[in-house]
Amino acid sequence: MPRTLRKSLPHVALLSYLLVILFPFLFVLFSSVKKDNNAIALNPFGIPREFAFNNYVEAWVNAKISNYFFNSLYISVLASVVSILLASMFAFAVTRMRQGKWNTILYGLILIGMLIPNNALMLPIYTIVRKLGILNTHLALIIPYIANAIPFTIIILAAFMRTLPSEIEEAAVMDGLKAPGIFAKIIVPLTVPAMVTVFIINFLGNWNEFLLANYFLSNDELRTLPVGMVQFRDQYQMNYAQMSAGIVFSVVPVIVIYAILQEKIIEGVTAGGVKG
Amino acid sequence: MNKALKNPFVFTLFVFPGLVLFLMFFIYPIFSSIYYSFTSWNGVSDTVKYAGVRNFSKALTDERFWVSVKNNGWFILFSVFVQVPLIVLFSLLISNVKKLKGLYKTAVFMPSIMSTAVIGILWGFIYEPNIGLFNKLIGLLGIEPVYWLSDERFAMLSILITNAWQWTGFYIVMVLAAILSIPGELDEAAAIDGATGIQRATRITLPLIVPIISVVIMLSIAGAMKAADIVIVMTKGGPAGSTEVMATYMIKYAITNFKYGYGNTIAVLIFVFTLVVTALYQLLVARRTERIEY
Repeated sequence: MPRTLRKSLPHVALLSYLLVILFPFLFVLFSSVKKDNNAIALNPFGIPREFAFNNYVEAWVNAKISNYFFNSLYISVLASVVSILLASMFAFAVTRMRQGKWNTILYGLILIGMLIPNNALMLPIYTIVRKLGILNTHLALIIPYIANAIPFTIIILAAFMRTLPSEIEEAAVMDGLKAPGIFAKIIVPLTVPAMVTVFIINFLGNWNEFLLANYFLSNDELRTLPVGMVQFRDQYQMNYAQMSAGIVFSVVPVIVIYAILQEKIIEGVTAGGVKG
Repeated sequence: MNKALKNPFVFTLFVFPGLVLFLMFFIYPIFSSIYYSFTSWNGVSDTVKYAGVRNFSKALTDERFWVSVKNNGWFILFSVFVQVPLIVLFSLLISNVKKLKGLYKTAVFMPSIMSTAVIGILWGFIYEPNIGLFNKLIGLLGIEPVYWLSDERFAMLSILITNAWQWTGFYIVMVLAAILSIPGELDEAAAIDGATGIQRATRITLPLIVPIISVVIMLSIAGAMKAADIVIVMTKGGPAGSTEVMATYMIKYAITNFKYGYGNTIAVLIFVFTLVVTALYQLLVARRTERIEY
């Protein structure tokens, strides 16, 4: 076999795979600016001949994608921030404070959380949320999202905190800092890089979550983007051009985040996966 | 100096909120599920009636429940026998190319950061019988339109393909990370000895990444047992219950039909089956893949 052929064969295979990955996105992107189903049916693969950008306006305004979008945004950000705060306190206590066997026991307990298939916990969580009287409010998602992210977040942050040298604390104690001060002024600032990674992963997880969001909220105003999209599809079943515009709205923020931070995302997700 | 970091009060204060949430949303639900799986509670009324093992015997003789178990089985089989070989193949290919490596790695991972719900919608559009991409493609070959999601013969397969499209890249990146951490000298030495690229891939790299492949299989089994949102979005379990999985069946009973007790029985069975499958895998396969050091 000639050398050039042998060298290009892997690229042929990989580029075909890439095409399979990317073409659906391109198909939706093209469809989103086509006039109607007919225009899509006549020219399914190609670049649109005329651009119907009003699909985007329709989806954003009339189908309330804007509303779903901002619901998702604030729920995801808030839940991610709080879980990182609580998890970092926990991780600090079990890795840097000296409580002997309690450190091991509590950390071990959290590890168990990684093994539990959390879908199967949905029904009891539904009941808890109802008993707390927060069913059908945003808290019905925010609190479970915070709780759900805690094991993974603790494990990643604890792993990072363990690598910090203990001399730092010795110096801090000399300067008269107490444990909360050491946490807030020394450990947290040093842990920021790991926190950014975990934040992105938690954020994406919350942004994409569907099951709880679908069953714990029945008020349309409160819905998140994935649920709103599914509803939107069911309502506008026949208008695929507008539906595509809706898909673009829900996919673009994720692609932008990914484009900027892909190194960190890949690193964080694989670290959690391999160690968990 | 130890005193500052030994303060039990501060320790408790720091651990408390996280621990409470963890106990409330992970540990308590397990016990609550087990408890309610032995009741015939409807989820709302004041009285909870004990039902013994009736729910369990009902589930084990419930034909539609077994269809859902079988469908989880399809998820497992498809990921182990279709996805994993592809994952290994593409990881080896990406690790061996010099150009475009970064592009491949970045692009293949992209679908796995997307919302499963949105991917379900996107693929629903691709499978659309009249204007969808799939039928337009096979139409070029002169094949009649197929009703992918509403034909019992194809609905499950259509979901499995979508699921594979979403997650294959995720695992590729994982395996790729393992391949790239193998010391290069091993490969170079083999190259000097005259081994071809394919020989090096199958005789050197492949045996060294067996442990990570094992992890990937474990994770895909766990993922297969959890599958639910993709089914709800794409087919809602239909047509005629043919794509129902355990988790969707559980939700259907407990939340839609107010059979909270029975729903929890299914939840407990999901736990048990997941434990059994992973334990079997560990015993039969994973233990044989000895630890590898280099």
